[in-house]
Amino acid sequence: MPNFNIDADSKYTYDAIVIGSGISGGWAAKELCEKGLKTLVLERGPMVEHPKDYTTANLDPWDMELRGGLTPKEQKKHYKAIRSGFIGKDTEHFFANDEENPYTEVKPFLWIRGHQMGGRSLLWGKQTYRWSEMDFEANAKDGHGVDWPIRYKDLEPWYTYVEKFAGISGEALGLPQLPDSHFLPPMEMNCVEKEVKKRIESNFPRRNMIIGRVAHLTQPLNGRGQCQYRNRCSRGCPYGAYFSSNAVTLPAANATGNLTFRPYSIVQSILYDEGKGKASGVRIIDAETNEAIEYKAKIIFCNASTLSTTQILLNSTSNRFPNGMGNDSEELGHNLMDHTYRVGALGKVEGFDDKYYSGRRPNGIYIPRYWNIDESSKTDKFLRGFGYQGGGYRMGNSEAANRKEFGGNYKDSIMKPGPWEFFITGFAECLPYHDNKVYLNKEVTDKWGQPTLSIDCEYKENELAQNKQIQEDAVEMLEKAGVKDVVGFDNEHEPGYGVHEMGTARMGRDPKTSVLNGTNQIHSVKNVFVTDGACMTSNSCVNPSLTYMALTARAANHAVEELKKFNI
Amino acid sequence: MDRRKALKFTGSMAAAAVAGPSLLTLLQSCKNESRVDWQPQFLTMDEAAFVSKIVDMILPRTETPGALDVKVDIFIDKVYTYLYDTNGQNNVQKEIAKFNDDCRNNYGDAFVSLSESDQIKALQKAEENSGQFGSSVWGTAIGNPEPVGFYRSLKSTALWGYFTSEQIGKNVLNYDPIPGAYHGCLNLDEVGNKWSL
Repeated sequence: MPNFNIDADSKYTYDAIVIGSGISGGWAAKELCEKGLKTLVLERGPMVEHPKDYTTANLDPWDMELRGGLTPKEQKKHYKAIRSGFIGKDTEHFFANDEENPYTEVKPFLWIRGHQMGGRSLLWGKQTYRWSEMDFEANAKDGHGVDWPIRYKDLEPWYTYVEKFAGISGEALGLPQLPDSHFLPPMEMNCVEKEVKKRIESNFPRRNMIIGRVAHLTQPLNGRGQCQYRNRCSRGCPYGAYFSSNAVTLPAANATGNLTFRPYSIVQSILYDEGKGKASGVRIIDAETNEAIEYKAKIIFCNASTLSTTQILLNSTSNRFPNGMGNDSEELGHNLMDHTYRVGALGKVEGFDDKYYSGRRPNGIYIPRYWNIDESSKTDKFLRGFGYQGGGYRMGNSEAANRKEFGGNYKDSIMKPGPWEFFITGFAECLPYHDNKVYLNKEVTDKWGQPTLSIDCEYKENELAQNKQIQEDAVEMLEKAGVKDVVGFDNEHEPGYGVHEMGTARMGRDPKTSVLNGTNQIHSVKNVFVTDGACMTSNSCVNPSLTYMALTARAANHAVEELKKFNI
Repeated sequence: MDRRKALKFTGSMAAAAVAGPSLLTLLQSCKNESRVDWQPQFLTMDEAAFVSKIVDMILPRTETPGALDVKVDIFIDKVYTYLYDTNGQNNVQKEIAKFNDDCRNNYGDAFVSLSESDQIKALQKAEENSGQFGSSVWGTAIGNPEPVGFYRSLKSTALWGYFTSEQIGKNVLNYDPIPGAYHGCLNLDEVGNKWSL
């Protein structure tokens, strides 16, 4: 692979600037470069080149001085994100520094960020599901939020297009609420999961339990290796087996010779040409030198991640847009959504003590939505619905530590795997509420003196009603499936824990009530595209990344067509 | 020198004297001939002796190495030194003192100085009184469990140190850094011990 060109030229007018290099930014870069556009990608953090910068990828616990533990100083650096439970010594360098990048929780909100080449595409859960027709129709049908300007059929070919390149493993089921992808072979369930599946499906005829659909290769694709079942994904995969910008889209973009990739580039604002009525480029701050530099381009793709994109737009003021670029509707910053998180049930499974598995599968099971998908599944308790993720496994150290035993026999017994545990945890759709919002906070500035975000967001009645149902259903399903000692749980997590933040610059049909049009262009600044989670008009109950990929590829195609026609 | 006796010995020396040149010399001289070849960085010598004794009782040497064989006590001292903040460190010392006070009240001496049968009774009591970890999903506890007591926390740290030591992780448990495939349904006796990673 040729080295990345990191020398950006401020005198040159690029065909395109892409802000951010995570899942959607990587796709924008690939599509625009492959269509011949000289493209500058601006990334606020350092380079993370596949695979050489995956510095922890092959470390065993004993290779780390403190076996993966974080010192108080390291914990302080991640004092917000650490509550997610995901951060260890092996991955902390891929989580943003919360001290240098503060945000204000008007109400509790967890904002997990990845400030490096590839962004959170290095850290994501890889659960990969198409949205369905009912997701795109939901707002129009129940009147919450505004109508999506697109339908499933608009996105369907683009789903197929990105799936073929990204590599999605899973099993086709033909469910209307969870359309099938173009699949690589599915991963395998373990014995307990297979048995629980059988019991749930026989007790609840409308419910399915399937192996997770994931962006992991189960066979080689385009020179990338298949999953080796190490489950060390968040350290970066040396095999390129899971989809990340670093391993997949950015190398493809780079191979065209059209890519310039500038790290340490914090986009401060998008520049607006009042005469032409278009964006003319961006102003960045070099994160290392604090130098302010302007780069010019014909089109701009905003892929900084949901809230960061909106932060940039809010900070991009001009005579025409005193309240932020494209904010004629006053909806910029509003309608923030996430999926509810860590509500479900778990218990022990007996009768399989002589069974075990080999390999560390970076995937679990999925139970697709089953409420409110047709007349017979309608409930009056809440709108929309939820799905579950989960899995079965044999328990480890905390179960061993809990046993009220010590000594030689105890030690020998804990050399064997612990009892089987099985859990499911729900993800509920959140309605778009105008008063769930972010706004610029000029009192709290970041390390570079820039205004930060205040986040004012909460789950309301419809989400809490779903959480109640999630727990009740989870307990019922597990008990019916013969799981023992079933415990329901609801951690009452604030939004942000799902790390599926969406909205704040929504797509819509009407410029008076939305920020973006049906091809992700700002209604009033047609050469600026937003294709990360900020663009979302509703948030389904399924994981969103695949939809960002499809929307981005579709918008990039449209952008190039419009450029060719001199429309933008 | 028997290493457990050495620990006891140096422990009582540390308690008896402020560390002066003579004690340091003594420790140095022990260094080459006994297991007390480490200077605790956070714990006092008495506290280190306490930790060593407890982890040795929880995970003694059998046909497989014990906690002391793989330096779990040294690891725990490192955890307290580098991973605990000042509050956490103060709490460890308070809890060790409390454990010893209980031993004095119930059995007449500090834990390390008790007879083996009294030490066993003390640990059995601690097992009963130290709470239990709640279940967790994806790295975070579910619900709102009570924090566990000091003994349970120490035991858990000991298991962490033991199972993540190279000797146990590579040679005793099943070590397979690159499985290459997932097999969801194997007979346990085809695998043997649990996977280390």
